Amino acid sequence: MESVAHSIGLSAVMTWTLLKVLIVFGSVMGVSSLWTWVERRGSAMLQDRIGPNRALLFGRWQLLGLPQLVADGLKFFFKEDQVPPHVTKRLYWIAPMLAFVPALIGFAVIPFGRSFSYQGALYHLSILEPGNGMGMLYPLAIGAVAVYGILVAAWSSNNKWAILGGMRASAQMVSYEISMGLAVLAIFMKVGGYDPGEIITEQAGVLWKVLPNWFIFRQPLGFLVFFVCMFAETNRLPFDFAEGESEIVAGFHTEFGSMKFALLALAEYAHMTTASALIATVYFGGWSVPFMPEAPVLLTILFFLIKLLFFMWVFVWVRWTLPRFRYDQLMFLGWKVLLPISMVNLIGNAWWMTRGGH
Amino acid sequence: MFLLFALITIIGALAMSQQKNVIVAGLCMVLTFLGVAGLFLMLSNPVAAALQVIVYSGAIMVLVLFTIMLLNSHEEEPAIQSRPIQRWVGALLIAVFGAFAFRIVMGSKALVDINTLADANTAVRPMEAMNLAKVGEEIFRHYLLGFEIVGLLLLAAMVGAVALTKKEL
Repeated sequence: MESVAHSIGLSAVMTWTLLKVLIVFGSVMGVSSLWTWVERRGSAMLQDRIGPNRALLFGRWQLLGLPQLVADGLKFFFKEDQVPPHVTKRLYWIAPMLAFVPALIGFAVIPFGRSFSYQGALYHLSILEPGNGMGMLYPLAIGAVAVYGILVAAWSSNNKWAILGGMRASAQMVSYEISMGLAVLAIFMKVGGYDPGEIITEQAGVLWKVLPNWFIFRQPLGFLVFFVCMFAETNRLPFDFAEGESEIVAGFHTEFGSMKFALLALAEYAHMTTASALIATVYFGGWSVPFMPEAPVLLTILFFLIKLLFFMWVFVWVRWTLPRFRYDQLMFLGWKVLLPISMVNLIGNAWWMTRGGH
Repeated sequence: MFLLFALITIIGALAMSQQKNVIVAGLCMVLTFLGVAGLFLMLSNPVAAALQVIVYSGAIMVLVLFTIMLLNSHEEEPAIQSRPIQRWVGALLIAVFGAFAFRIVMGSKALVDINTLADANTAVRPMEAMNLAKVGEEIFRHYLLGFEIVGLLLLAAMVGAVALTKKEL
């Protein structure tokens, strides 16, 4: 590490941070774009269709339709970048970036493997070191800012459907943030801290001798609320009101084409990655390996990846299983069902803790 | 870094007050809030920074922009008549408040400490980062009364808002 750091003229800490940034952002981008393919093949599988399989690599290899990714990417890059005449130009340019950047940086606080020491130095496997004081507030804050991408995209399009989509999305994200925050608050209370690292170490061990000591078994109500809210926060079906194509064409990205549209679409998948990582971290023990307290570092990374990819698959699975809600049903669910449930969860846990339970 | 965040804050605020388009003005205000969050980070208070982003830019401004979009008037209306007296009173008030704020900041304990320490040529002690536990302790140990009053006030405001908007209760 030292010699590598010296050869590029940076300190060891900087090099390690840079390396982590490259790894995390590269993986999030890679997984997000890969998941556009998983979504199409998965939806085809669920609906008994074939899905994309015509793109061939060098005219020869089909590879389960994977070359479609390359073809789509090339198409997006070389398509004419049309700017409709009625848009607000500056905002129209900024909007895809506003959507994409928060989606990408939300992952920064999540540890993706066990910390390890090498040659006397301790290395943490998350971009922001533990104990930074932000902890789990950071993904909540980034999720709160993420709505601006949709809002700005919608408004700058200067189009009725786009504005309707943007307004729906913003109202929905603000309403579901409250229940999500309350669900996470119950976890903070149990852990006595709000650092993702602390949350994960709290979940080590065994529950009732047969189950891993994960929060899903200890706070099933909180998990239910958090899980549903994650779908609303990522604007995925059954809550994708920002782009309900049967009602408002394509919602906030109606007017976007070529690479701008690609960025908006990728932002959704990047959000999905972060949301899956959050679910895995908060309720499924993050990188911890069940029944193996001293797992090797590589195994912890592998387990984190497995959990992450599983929840990303759940996002796809749910999308092609459930129909879209109606807008008033969404608001009803958010305010009159999830909010009381999360309140009950929080207060019930507090009561249980004052009684000496854990 | 400080200059960067300070510039973001000031430019956002100036752009907001100069902007004719209400939505763009709102977005400039978000920029200002993000700059302020950055300043909180520089003051080693990540909790305040995170809450600034979650509450102000994440919830309040989204709702404000949402309402503006619903209202369907996105341009500032021109004034019917110019009001010079109000302008001068406004400028005067800004000057007075600015002067007071400046005095309070310059006289604050932390700044005095830093100055005396710098005079004594000793190393300035590193500030301890704030975390949620400390915030909670402060609120519930030293500022409990204020906290309860604010809670009551917010509850009253909420009941009032519902009573105003709902025709039949």
